Amino acid sequence: MSFWAVALAIAIPAVGSAISQAIASRAAMENIGRQPEAAGDIRTTLILALAFMEALTLFSFVIAILLWVKM
Amino acid sequence: MGLKALGEVLEHVKPQVLFHLGPIPITSTVVNTWIVMAIFLPCIYLLSRKFTLVPRGGQHVLEMVAEFFYGLLEGSMGREGRRFLPIVGTLFTFILVLNLSWFIPGMKPPTTDLSTTAGFAVATIILVQIIGIKHRGLVGYIKHFFQPIPFLFPLNVMEEMVKPVSLSLRLFANMFGEKMVVTVLFFLLPFLAPTPVMLLGVIMGTIQALVFSLLTVVYITNFIHGH
Repeated sequence: MSFWAVALAIAIPAVGSAISQAIASRAAMENIGRQPEAAGDIRTTLILALAFMEALTLFSFVIAILLWVKM
Repeated sequence: MGLKALGEVLEHVKPQVLFHLGPIPITSTVVNTWIVMAIFLPCIYLLSRKFTLVPRGGQHVLEMVAEFFYGLLEGSMGREGRRFLPIVGTLFTFILVLNLSWFIPGMKPPTTDLSTTAGFAVATIILVQIIGIKHRGLVGYIKHFFQPIPFLFPLNVMEEMVKPVSLSLRLFANMFGEKMVVTVLFFLLPFLAPTPVMLLGVIMGTIQALVFSLLTVVYITNFIHGH
């Protein structure tokens, strides 16, 4: 049963951050297409934003590892 | 396929104590960092020994990194931002080399150990605070915590405390996760299955080094320009 805790602890945040990253990347791509001269700025900001979203999954990944080791 | 097999995976990923230097245990992480430094420092010395006005050979690489960060720093802080190039550039190149040291056979990249990344993050944040104090003066620095309204003081202090945690955990978890996935894949299907994921590891290592230095720039900018 505790398998599920570990599995869900990594799976649910992964879904959330995948969706949010998709939205952010789509907006960035659309706006690079609309305004190619701002591509550099948009790219830097996008990488920062993606890193923040990614971090949430990674925190839950660390927690999943901790749960699994304690199991 | 039980938990035992997965426990075996963790053995391959976590650092081991190699020997003791007095009371201090020396882990494989530290030794690996020394190895990377022993390779990296002579390389940089050889590359930066003879600078010419028209770049040749390895000077291109160094100039590319320096130009990129000059652009970044000037974009966020203006001309005075150029002062911070040594901090940001060093963090980027060193973390990049540590991340990519994964591809030396038998090497555990030092960034898969939380101690390394925590060291980087705490040192960076302390440096950022010192830059803040130097730039604003002690009074201005303390005033910065009460900035929008005094009511937010605990929140601002908390923000400074959380910065090193998130900074170190991000780098650590990325590299550790990458390594875990490859090791698990290797146990399941040793031939060619981990290769695409390892290729992803190259991109991830570069992006994480970039993100670490980008965040350092953002934190410094926070203190130079205020909220």
